[in-house]
Amino acid sequence: MKVLATYSIKGGVGKTTSAVNLAREAGVSGSRVLVWDLDPQGAATFFFRIRAKVKGGTERLVSSKGDLLEHVRASDIPGVHVVPADFSLRHLDLHLDNRKRPTERLAALLTGVEGRYDVAFLDCPPSISLASESVFGAADALLVPVIPTTLSSRTLHQLASFLATQDHPPDLLPYFSMVDGRKRLHREVMAELRGEWPHVLATAIPNASTIERMGPERAPVGEYAPSSLAAKAFGDLWAEMAARLWP
Amino acid sequence: MKEAVPLSPDVHLDATFRSPDGRRAPRSVLHNGSAAMDVVTYTGDTLPAQHLASALAGAGFEVSRFRPVERTLLDTFDGRLHAAGVRLEVRAGADLQLIVSGGGPTPARLTVERLPAVAGDLPAGPLRARLAPLLDVRALRPTVRVASLQADAVRRNEEGKAVVGVALHDRPTGETGAPLSALLMAEIVQYEGYPRATRQGESLLGSLGLTRREGDVLDLAAEDAGIDLRGFVGSPTIRLDPSEHAVAGFRRVLANLADTIEANRQGTIDDIDPEFLHDLRVAVRRSRSILSHGKQVLPADGRDHFRAEFRWLGTVTSPLRDLDVYVIEWPGYVATLDPDTAAALGPVVDHIAAGRAAEHGTLVGQLGSARYQGLMTAWRAWLDPDAGKTKLPKKSNRLLGAVVAARIGEAQDQLLLRGRAIGPSTAAEELHELRKDAKRLRYLIECFGGLLPASARKPFVQRLKALQDNLGEHQDTEVHTAQLKAMSQELHGSPGVTAATLLAMGRLTEVFDRRRVEARNQFAERFANYDTKQTARALAELVETVS
Repeated sequence: MKVLATYSIKGGVGKTTSAVNLAREAGVSGSRVLVWDLDPQGAATFFFRIRAKVKGGTERLVSSKGDLLEHVRASDIPGVHVVPADFSLRHLDLHLDNRKRPTERLAALLTGVEGRYDVAFLDCPPSISLASESVFGAADALLVPVIPTTLSSRTLHQLASFLATQDHPPDLLPYFSMVDGRKRLHREVMAELRGEWPHVLATAIPNASTIERMGPERAPVGEYAPSSLAAKAFGDLWAEMAARLWP
Repeated sequence: MKEAVPLSPDVHLDATFRSPDGRRAPRSVLHNGSAAMDVVTYTGDTLPAQHLASALAGAGFEVSRFRPVERTLLDTFDGRLHAAGVRLEVRAGADLQLIVSGGGPTPARLTVERLPAVAGDLPAGPLRARLAPLLDVRALRPTVRVASLQADAVRRNEEGKAVVGVALHDRPTGETGAPLSALLMAEIVQYEGYPRATRQGESLLGSLGLTRREGDVLDLAAEDAGIDLRGFVGSPTIRLDPSEHAVAGFRRVLANLADTIEANRQGTIDDIDPEFLHDLRVAVRRSRSILSHGKQVLPADGRDHFRAEFRWLGTVTSPLRDLDVYVIEWPGYVATLDPDTAAALGPVVDHIAAGRAAEHGTLVGQLGSARYQGLMTAWRAWLDPDAGKTKLPKKSNRLLGAVVAARIGEAQDQLLLRGRAIGPSTAAEELHELRKDAKRLRYLIECFGGLLPASARKPFVQRLKALQDNLGEHQDTEVHTAQLKAMSQELHGSPGVTAATLLAMGRLTEVFDRRRVEARNQFAERFANYDTKQTARALAELVETVS
């Protein structure tokens, strides 16, 4: 099982929409997928129409008695299961801090579902915290959405610098998100970053109103607008990732 | 029959699902048929499918229209997926879906343009990564087919989330178009984390007078048609009795091998995958070897004839198998070369493919020949203990266990004698002979494995296999080197063959030669590891129960 975390220090860059849509694309292209919503806002949980409830609360989940399987819910997407979030996740740092090896806890919980899924997506809240470090400890790769602006590019550098200090950092898979091809700045930043980071994924996710409709539709884009450019972009992005991760 | 749930006159069966709030439901639900593993199915013979659909709609399910769907189970000839607890189903309706279940709580699904024949036809990703090691070079073939009119029903909770589904199959028919033994099947689609909804769905179907059964519509089709989903089990090991007459045991072992030869003939002719020919050839070699081991217990009359005929069959199948090995191993061969050199070998790949096609044509002729048919007919008759009076050797009625134990001991002695005489300068032919000795011993253990304790077989075979791997690598690389040199001469001057191609062939020959030398250098250590007291002890444990 590959563990992929959608992660960015910066908020509002498309982490959750990426996690939900990539999970959908992975599911419809033959993967057994688990989405673990780690964001107390529970947006991924909402998009999958699942009740926002961590049974027993986050403290119990990360305790030695915690078992991820208890929390799994099937989504309406073939092959995609979800571990929902609720507001108790706002104390995840605190609960992890009370454990002996906090940065290894999420990885340990994921070993309980090893073999049942091909890929697990961790949808993470923004910031660098103890929870993020635990995510870095569990993830094989960080999927990092980057809006082609100066600030987003700066946070990518910050993340890369931080990971360089880790013993076994996950792979970094940056890709462009919320791209508006009409904006010269977007085009310029993309060209610049591609020159600097040759491993930035080729597929870019457009800034599209179709994606914004995920809220009212409560479903990934491919479910309600399968022919849209956005749905195609998520499909292409997953195919590109899959080819890298399972050559 | 229990009383049916009253039907709602206002039920509207529509192909498009709507959530309780009127929004369109996720698209995938329309394709969300049953999970094939741990499926709970209900069958009925009197309730019309439309009535059941209406009853489900009345109970709050959204129900699609009935539409024709064909479901096919795919597996290899030898049932590799079934053996691994994996089930690969193709569902052909509005699109073509692959559904892979087993090994987890959720099936993997994939929409494809056409049916995959081999693992390489699947797109890169975890599904291919999971199936490729199971399938190896084997091709997928349809094992069971069912056609039906299918409707999908789904019940949602207050969030608009599907919590349980039912796949309805109206008048399912099997491979030949014949109706299955149930007129109506309803498969419960379980959603992980919503067990109460599943129980409610089951309770509803039960209350409608349907009968619960294990397995889905494909299982029923297989059951009705008497199809064994385990596929063809071509194991050389059969049940044997150490106290039976040796001739009877040898005959049964050889008859089992004849079954394997015959079972793999058509697949070889149809060129489904290279394992058919491989398994046919191994069965032929085992037959020759067991004939040789049975010299003192099998009828003398005809024995040499059949050995000669099986030698012929082995010989005529060799050229195609050699080329199959090239095709299978090619990616590994060229992986050690730089991309330019590998690309320059394009004409060699074409040459091998053309040669393979020609050799296959020749072999099809041989396998359809009167000589082949005559051999197998006469062979079956020779093995039949009731077919006429045959003069048996004196030792034919010795106990099978004692004969086999003695033969295993002799085969091991022969192997050790030859192996110990091999030094650094011994000719390659002696290593090839040693490889044959090792095969003879291995075949005995495999074919008479029914007499030997399984717990003792594995440790000994592991030791023998380590030696065989070294001898196999040595001989294969030598054969490939010679073949490549011969091909080089054949291709010289051919259109499209450049100096770069010939140079690349030279590089590949060097790769083979390096591997050959490496294997030869490792031989002494491998043989020393085999020729030990531990091996002797493992062999003694193997035969002590039958000797």
